[in-house]
Amino acid sequence: MRVGAEEDIRERVPDVDSLMAALNDGDYLTDVGLATALFLAVRLPQPILLEGEPGVGKTEAAKALARVLDTPLYRLQCYEGIDSGEALYEWNYPRQLLGIRLAEASHVELAETELFGSEYLLRRPLLRAIEHAGPRPAVLLLDEIDRADAEFEAFTFELLAEAAVTIPELGTVRATHPPIVILTSNRTRDLHDALTRRCLYHWIDYPGPQRIAEIVRRRVPASAGRLALEAASAVTKLRSLDLAKPPGIAEAIDWVSAMTVLGIESLDAPIVDQTWGSIVKNRDDLDLACARGAAWLVGERG
Amino acid sequence: MTSTSRAPVELRGWSVSVGKDADEVEVRPGGTRAIASRSNVAAAGASDARKAIARAVPAVEAAALGAAFTTALRWAGVAASPDRAARLAEALQLVPPSGRAPLYWACRVVLVSSREQVPVFDAVFAAVFDGMLDPADSRGDTSAPPAVGSEERIRAAPPGRRPTGAAEEDSRVPVPIPAPGGDGGDEPGREREAVLAVASPDEHLHETSFAELDSDEIDQMRQLVRRIVLSTPERLSRRSRPSARSNSPLDLRRTARAAGRTGGDPLRLVYARRRLRARRLVLLCDVSGSMEPYTRVFLSLLQGAVTGARAEAFVFSTRLTRLTRQLALRDADRALARAAASTPDWAGGTRLAESIRRFVDDHGRRGLARGAVIVILSDGWAQDAPELVAAQMARLRRLAYRIIWVNPRKVARDYRPLVGGMAAALPYCDAFVSGHSYAALAEVAAAIRADRKRYSPL
Repeated sequence: MRVGAEEDIRERVPDVDSLMAALNDGDYLTDVGLATALFLAVRLPQPILLEGEPGVGKTEAAKALARVLDTPLYRLQCYEGIDSGEALYEWNYPRQLLGIRLAEASHVELAETELFGSEYLLRRPLLRAIEHAGPRPAVLLLDEIDRADAEFEAFTFELLAEAAVTIPELGTVRATHPPIVILTSNRTRDLHDALTRRCLYHWIDYPGPQRIAEIVRRRVPASAGRLALEAASAVTKLRSLDLAKPPGIAEAIDWVSAMTVLGIESLDAPIVDQTWGSIVKNRDDLDLACARGAAWLVGERG
Repeated sequence: MTSTSRAPVELRGWSVSVGKDADEVEVRPGGTRAIASRSNVAAAGASDARKAIARAVPAVEAAALGAAFTTALRWAGVAASPDRAARLAEALQLVPPSGRAPLYWACRVVLVSSREQVPVFDAVFAAVFDGMLDPADSRGDTSAPPAVGSEERIRAAPPGRRPTGAAEEDSRVPVPIPAPGGDGGDEPGREREAVLAVASPDEHLHETSFAELDSDEIDQMRQLVRRIVLSTPERLSRRSRPSARSNSPLDLRRTARAAGRTGGDPLRLVYARRRLRARRLVLLCDVSGSMEPYTRVFLSLLQGAVTGARAEAFVFSTRLTRLTRQLALRDADRALARAAASTPDWAGGTRLAESIRRFVDDHGRRGLARGAVIVILSDGWAQDAPELVAAQMARLRRLAYRIIWVNPRKVARDYRPLVGGMAAALPYCDAFVSGHSYAALAEVAAAIRADRKRYSPL
């Protein structure tokens, strides 16, 4: 029943290695696990649920994939109380009212079908992803789906399974290129079984110091060679403490940027004392980290 | 899925059977026979078969492999429906299983649906495939499973337990597998039980009274107790938020505002529901001399409650000291040290009535106790006259949602709440529990969680 991915996509992403190489070229470093997961999401095709600690690059993965496929990314940021008006489509009421007033003022007959024409339709990300004309399917990112209500989750999934939207006034919009769906979750609640059943799943692990260093080097090209790895090891070490907000990759990047701006080439204890604020963002965490001391953070790195 | 059903499953010439506790997974292609078991991989005869399969695996029919492996996983308690097996077959056509890593990732991406399933998946995968494939292929694979239960909250595990590279590949720890049919870790609302079940291998400590533990055991126990997750009943908040359901009350204010956009016509009705908030939790702990055997552990309970459930913590003996700020430090030992330093009357006498009066006057009436769940940890041996205790308890009662009295001496067989203070306070308490041991603290947690109407142990 399923035909697999379209020809164009198959050529663009022939196997896992080529996808991984393409992502790397696009400055998004992956391991083989994430590359396999994205590859299957694209080629099966099947929605994929990405989970991982904040700051491991869940959202960035979707952006990088869209870049590799050279296709637009439609992003829907979910929040508590989000409804179909914000996710799918909404009629532009103010404009419709204005249209009526204008028609009245200039004594023009206005048919109802005109009033519900597509120029009065506000297209939200879900509709835009389904309507996307190609040549390749769009990437649809449902960010932090766990924040939305369970009803919304179910509604979204029905819609994506059908790959069609029925707008009563306009008729049914059927996707010519069903979007590649990526969901992310921060695990603030359990997702519905129906959703997890239909999705591929990948847990993105926090990367090791080597890979953090590589990521940092790409993001902060001006940084000194040793600095990236030293900072990455220090951040990894800091994560071994029971911090409320363990520093992520973003913090490592900020930190190295900060030190690069300060013209620092190598990490040592006084520098760390100056720049705690870039990596530790919570007073209690700061107390805890300072108790271990900056010397501990930079000493005996492995 | 029960552990008794051990009959092998026939799937297109493959048969799979999993032993009790999923310790043994057996995969049989056609007439060949291989037993991959974590304990007896090297069983006689298995090695020949293993070689045979090793040759055969790359050419294995993906559908059969998918079905067989899915079944093995199901036996181990990871629910994997038949459509997943079909999906795995498709996936394996796209990702040729040329080595361990591609096979592992393809299977994991398709078959696993939550992080909690990963350790079980890893164990089953290792049981089924390791030894069948060339181990050289697994180098550089960063998929060593984290220890089960190493993280009871959603938080980063220390990197020490996390694979950071190939160096740790060989230190792969054997992972206990839950009994077949057991939860795959995906059942909501069982977090607390899970914590109690997972937290310690030293089961014997659970039933032992805190007063009978030696110093090392107390330290262990404090680790455990700090991790107990306390939660209070919910109340309706004053604030509302938009609701998608039309059976909620209409939010006139937001509706009127929305109507402004549409020329005054309320085209969109906005509904609102009131949010739910957890009630405040206040713990008052007696640190007088008579409570000394218990206070060290109880302080850890207070600390866990302050950091985990945003509770307010007070200690009292001859006078009342607020310890919330001192205990809010994440570094447990420093928190306790600071708490001890700011409590001058440690292990003194008990002025129960006076302490409660101070609490109500200085904190409770200002809102701290209003609608809150109040837990008093004390043996009720007081210097104050019983009438005074009763009078202060009555004042507290009028403010609080529920009062829970934790008295570790309750557990003694001949115990009667006859001590003056205790007898006077008891009529004002909603629950009276012992909390003398780790197991008994579960009762305390249940009493804290309970609603006013339903729970009445007195």
